[in-house]
Parts: sequence; C-alpha cells; structure tokens
Amino acid sequence: MNSQIKKGILDLCVLALLEKGDSYGYDLAGSLARKVEVADGTVYPILRKLASEGVVSTYLQESQNGPPRKYYHLTDAGRRKLDSERDEWIKFCGEVNEILERGETGGKADE
Amino acid sequence: MNKTEYLKSLSNELGHMPYGDVKDIIQSIEEHFDEGLGEGRSEEEIAASLGDPKELAAEFKDGVKFNQIMKKRKRLKDYAGPDGRGRIFVILFNAFVGIECWLLLLAAIIAAFCFLAADLAFIGLIVAGLITGTLTEFMVPFIFLILTLACVAVFLVALLILGIKYYAKGLKSYIRWNKNIWNYGLGED
Repeated sequence: MNSQIKKGILDLCVLALLEKGDSYGYDLAGSLARKVEVADGTVYPILRKLASEGVVSTYLQESQNGPPRKYYHLTDAGRRKLDSERDEWIKFCGEVNEILERGETGGKADE
Repeated sequence: MNKTEYLKSLSNELGHMPYGDVKDIIQSIEEHFDEGLGEGRSEEEIAASLGDPKELAAEFKDGVKFNQIMKKRKRLKDYAGPDGRGRIFVILFNAFVGIECWLLLLAAIIAAFCFLAADLAFIGLIVAGLITGTLTEFMVPFIFLILTLACVAVFLVALLILGIKYYAKGLKSYIRWNKNIWNYGLGED
C-alpha cells in the first residue's frame, strides 16, 4: 500500500492498540507489524510524536528479567482524539469504498 | 548489521537533533534490541526487521519538524504584540553578559591564531638557520625543538578548526535565541 496513505493512519492505529491497555515499545512494534506491513521501527517515531502531543504518557516499570521497560499510556486527551478520529476514519472509508465499488459496477451498467 | 552498527548508524543519521533527543531515541531502540534478544532472536534479525536506519531517522526527524511547526503555530496564535520585558531582557543581557562573552571567545581565537603564526615563524627561522649553516653545531637539539613546535602547531590548527566551527554554530543559535525572545517575549521555551 502507498506509504503516504499508510503513514497518516498509523498514529490512530497506535492509539487504538493502547486503548486495550498500557504497553511497551517492543510489544507495540510487534502488534502493529503483525497486522500492517510496516517495519518494526516505525512505531517509535509515532510514539514519540504522540507523547509530545500529550495524547500518550510514559512511565518506567520493572520487567521480570532485564532492565525496566518504558510503558505507554493513553491519556484522556488521547482517548478523545481516538474516539473522534476513529469515527471520522470509518465514515471516510465507507465513502471511499462506495465510490471505488460503484466506479466498478457503475461503469459496466453504463454500457 | 549487528546492534552496535545499527545504533551507530541511526545516531549518525539523526545528526543535528539535540543531544537529549538522540539519547532518548537510541535508548528506546536499544531497549527494542534487548527485548528481542531476550526472546532468542539474533541481533541481525532484529536490525533487519527494524528497517533501514536511514529511513527510521528520517521518520524521527519528520516528527520533530511536526512538533516545531505545531509549537510555532501555537506561539503565533498566542502572540499578542511585542513583549516589552523580552526586549529589555535582550538589551540588558547583551550589554552586560552576551556580547562580552562572545568577544572574549573571539579574542581567544585570535590569540590562538597569533600563537600559531609565531610558532610557524619560529620553525621557519630555525630551518633557515640550519639550511644556511649558522646553527649547524646545535643540529640535534634544534631538530627536537622543531618537532616540539610542529606538535604545538598541529594542536593549534585542530583547536582553531574546532573552535571556529563551534563558535559560528554557537553564535548562530545565540542570535536565534535572542530573536525569539525579542519577537515573542520571555514566556515560552
């Protein structure tokens, strides 16, 4: 898929992953890369940007083995952003799909 | 590419970002490596799945640019005319501290230049003396003296190159900082 289109929506995907609960970079990278075709690294610039916007916050937590992990938490502002942008995206997708699908069948009907 | 190579390449690509940001980014990618290693994956495997360090650095830089634009936009939105306090601060700070500091550093650079010139002239004089034969009986000690002076010259050249580079860089960001306060006041940043 075109990387420009993908880039814009990945922020929202990361917010959605955090909606289920706090998580750390490596875990989020895996969850994202399993579903969407992106490099594991992609999640880190996004997390950084989201943190600087205040839609996610971070804290350190001890892990069972190894050094403490940096966890990401969806803030209230993040939840609001997610809710409104998710609705927008779903609506937009519906509209785009309608155009794309009608384009196909409509063209045939005209003949 | 192994972990060390990947992190080194990434931090090179991040280049001009503030040190704190680079440190923070490198730390998070290092953590990613450690988690992966803990799962039994190899360094090369993790590096490959992280993606090209050049592209990753570009994505980090894009994020920073985005933040700067947002910050500027917010500042412009809040902007309510020139801030008298900011301007007084800029004038007083420059009169009593800023300009003096920069002149002092400039004087140090000029002094290093003079020192280098004297050093080179001294080498030239001794070499001339040795060639014309006036100093031949002291050949050995003078050769040692020349070597010492040459070392000093190399050191001074290196010092000057670095000094001038950082002086220019520092002065540029100092002027930017002043401009910011002059235009937008003391409030933010």
